[in-house]
Amino acid sequence: MRGWRTLLAKDWKLIRRNRLLLSVLIVYPFLIMGVIGAAFQESGRPVPVGLVNLDDPGREGVLCVVLDSPDAGRTEGEVRRRAYGYGECTSEEQALADLEAGKFNLVIAREDGRVGGRRLYGALMDSESLQSLVMELEDSATEARFYTSFREAADSLAGMEGGVLLALPHRLHPSLGESLWVGGESYDALRLIREFSGDVVDLEIFPGLEEARGTLREGRVDAVVVLPPGFVHRLKTLEKVAEVNVILDQSNLVKAEFAETGIRGFFSRVTEEVVEEKMRAVVAGLYVLVSGGDFFGTPIIGLERIREDLADLYVALSDRPELGIKVQEGIDLADMVIEDIEKAADYLRGTALPVDLRISSVAGRPLAAKDAVVPALIVLSMLWTGVLCGAVLMVLEEEEGMRARLRLTPAGPLAMVTAKLILASGVVILQSLVMLLLAVAVFRTFASGLWISLLIIAVSSLSFIGIGQMLAAFARQVAGAVIMSVLVTFPLIFLTGAIFPLTQMPAFMRGIARASPPTYALDALSGVMLRGEGLAGVFWEIMVLLGFGATLLFAGSLLSGRKSQ
Amino acid sequence: MSSKSSLISLRGLSRDFDGLRALGGIDLDVDRGETFGLIGPNGAGKTTLIRILTGLISPTKGEMLVEGKKLDPRHRAYRRRIGLVPQETALYGRLTAGENLVLLARLHGLDRGKAAFRAKELLAWAGLEEHADREARYLSRGMQQRLSLAMGMVHDPEIVFLDEPTSGLDPEARSRVWDLVEKLSGEGKTVFLATHNLEEADRLCDRLAILFRGEIREQGTPEQIKNLLGRDRLELGLAEGALGDLSEICGRLGLSWRKEGRIFVITGPDLPGKLPSLVSRLTGSLYHLHYREVTLEDAFLRFMKELEN
Ligand SMILES: Nc1ncnc2c1ncn2[C@@H]1O[C@H](COP(=O)(O)OP(=O)(O)O)[C@@H](O)[C@H]1O
Ligand SMILES: [Mg+2]
Repeated sequence: MRGWRTLLAKDWKLIRRNRLLLSVLIVYPFLIMGVIGAAFQESGRPVPVGLVNLDDPGREGVLCVVLDSPDAGRTEGEVRRRAYGYGECTSEEQALADLEAGKFNLVIAREDGRVGGRRLYGALMDSESLQSLVMELEDSATEARFYTSFREAADSLAGMEGGVLLALPHRLHPSLGESLWVGGESYDALRLIREFSGDVVDLEIFPGLEEARGTLREGRVDAVVVLPPGFVHRLKTLEKVAEVNVILDQSNLVKAEFAETGIRGFFSRVTEEVVEEKMRAVVAGLYVLVSGGDFFGTPIIGLERIREDLADLYVALSDRPELGIKVQEGIDLADMVIEDIEKAADYLRGTALPVDLRISSVAGRPLAAKDAVVPALIVLSMLWTGVLCGAVLMVLEEEEGMRARLRLTPAGPLAMVTAKLILASGVVILQSLVMLLLAVAVFRTFASGLWISLLIIAVSSLSFIGIGQMLAAFARQVAGAVIMSVLVTFPLIFLTGAIFPLTQMPAFMRGIARASPPTYALDALSGVMLRGEGLAGVFWEIMVLLGFGATLLFAGSLLSGRKSQ
Repeated sequence: MSSKSSLISLRGLSRDFDGLRALGGIDLDVDRGETFGLIGPNGAGKTTLIRILTGLISPTKGEMLVEGKKLDPRHRAYRRRIGLVPQETALYGRLTAGENLVLLARLHGLDRGKAAFRAKELLAWAGLEEHADREARYLSRGMQQRLSLAMGMVHDPEIVFLDEPTSGLDPEARSRVWDLVEKLSGEGKTVFLATHNLEEADRLCDRLAILFRGEIREQGTPEQIKNLLGRDRLELGLAEGALGDLSEICGRLGLSWRKEGRIFVITGPDLPGKLPSLVSRLTGSLYHLHYREVTLEDAFLRFMKELEN
């Protein structure tokens, strides 16, 4: 072990004087941290969402409804039965023209397996029949999608087994533009969404679906929400769910995920408000029933008044006991009903509201995205720097041809490996410490358990450097070592679960993740920094990491010893 | 060969790499204080032999004696006595010439002051004083090679292994390295030099061995080897049927002959003096005669070609 200090000083000098190496090993992780840190600084901003409101009675043009598997065969017969004008259309253009000219007020297209193509026909019927037909069809379909362009609708119909497309003048669609009362105020669809989307999403209204889609494609909004015709009507009647189409840009999964979460959040707020309002009305109605008063403009006498009157009657009938008994029965019945109604009202008040999820963190305090990203960032940079340092420092001797020379000195290979291990782990630990302090001081993130974190960092650096030293056995040049390190580092980062949750991976990948040191490092570090665990809580991970470190370092020196034979 | 007083003796040394034979049964004796040359083309096994002699790898078979005693070259006491100058220039490009030397001196156990002193000494020895503070990667190839030589000497070893110390150098740089090797020999060191350059071996070595495909084919002084290879040759065009005469006269004159294509090539000592008797015997069947001197390099190349057949 003699000479390790001399070797360490030499290795440090070599890194320091190699600007490229210096920046790849040490500066790069800080750069990444700066970028990610800045990006996460304002997370929690509203998601930009495009809105197309088809529940607007003032809309011009054609509305297309694509229905999934209503009873398609029956549809045609039904149309024929109700229509007083009916005819095949030769082409989509023709159909549209007929629709606009008023020759038809409903055009229907469907894939017909028997004909081997698309059936297209138009019908003219009175608007009442039309509306009830559309309503029935929409209700019987498993899915309804709305379009403002016939072309798009026709495209989406293609290849849809049993799909039906209805095209009609927009204003003829049933139950458009209704309003509902919440907290004493009237809301139509647009106002409802505007009011409740609040700080979660940033709404931009589009007249048509095509414009909205285009904007989504350009990335100026993260999602498009299409409010169906009759949206408010459905909310009001609660007969059938209102199907809101949400279009996401799934080419970017994270973006789509963020948008979906935001949109779900505000829609649940909307339904919550609506249901709550209804419950309030019902409860109020029940109370009015008991105590009397005004129910939406109708004066109600109230059961209590009736009971009082009966009580008076009972007193007045004190000389006619046979009648008194009957009145007494009436009073008892009123008492029972009043009691039951009050119970029912209490029950409704107490339980009828939709579940409200209050998210809180196991850390005992709420965490922001920027807090959660710190441990991942530190593990990532440790892995990067550790593997690279471990590999590069070893291969450096090879590249410079100094290996043989060093082996002939009394210093010996153990001193060489030790010097590199100490230097590399020093670099890794120092780098992580600086990152930790930067995160807390500059990015104002939350982190607990600094000392245990440092212990975890030190222990996991051994494994990472061990991986590097193992890789070094397969490279003869620094460039090769760097490439191999990068090849190995990226899959390992993925396997930590920082990018994609481990529970969502197939079993064999979870198996690999369990055999990968960074997974334990991240687990332990997030445990200590974010979940507030103590030493006991991460003891297992630390032991596993120590085991990995010893094994990998031993394997690394074994392999590099074999290489020089 | 004086095996009793030999410093290093090898007996039946072999080394296989994954079943492929790199060295096959090497017997060799290196005497104290001599400069011993190992010549052979690329891939002959020179580096492999040096790596075995310096204990970097072990032989598959055979043994090594130092001063008559069997020895494991990984032994610490032996390592202290040997110095190695590897084939590829081995130094840290981003350390200065001085730092490279100080580093090795420190690793050999010298304290800070002594290491600095030794580095200075060696810089002067290698003629690199003015370049002490330049990063080694900015030195010329020749200077790097001299630095590499100096780095092998930090602990003042008694036996020095040089693996092709001048390959890739221009003539000027090469002769400066040669000067250094001669200096080493002058200091009484035993030098073991691997080279593929006969001129270098001729100039520096006391004794030579030709290594070919992992086997020693010839051994001797440079003079002996040169004579064996032949410095000149006679090329004859002969009619059919004169073969018996040629063979007979060559035997008588102590010359050797061989066929290269349609030409007969005669080599041997004092070729010009024997020319008249040769020609008079072959008159009639002789239609072409050419006498030429060859460089050592050519002679060596030709020898290698012969070995190949
Ligand atoms: N580590 C090794 N693994 C496999 N084969 C090797 C190794 N080292 C040398 N050899 C082979 O051994 C033979 C001798 O190589 P070497 O000693 O380097 O020759 P020289 O130094 O004379 O050019 C070559 O054929 C080479 O390919
Ligand atoms: Mg060689």
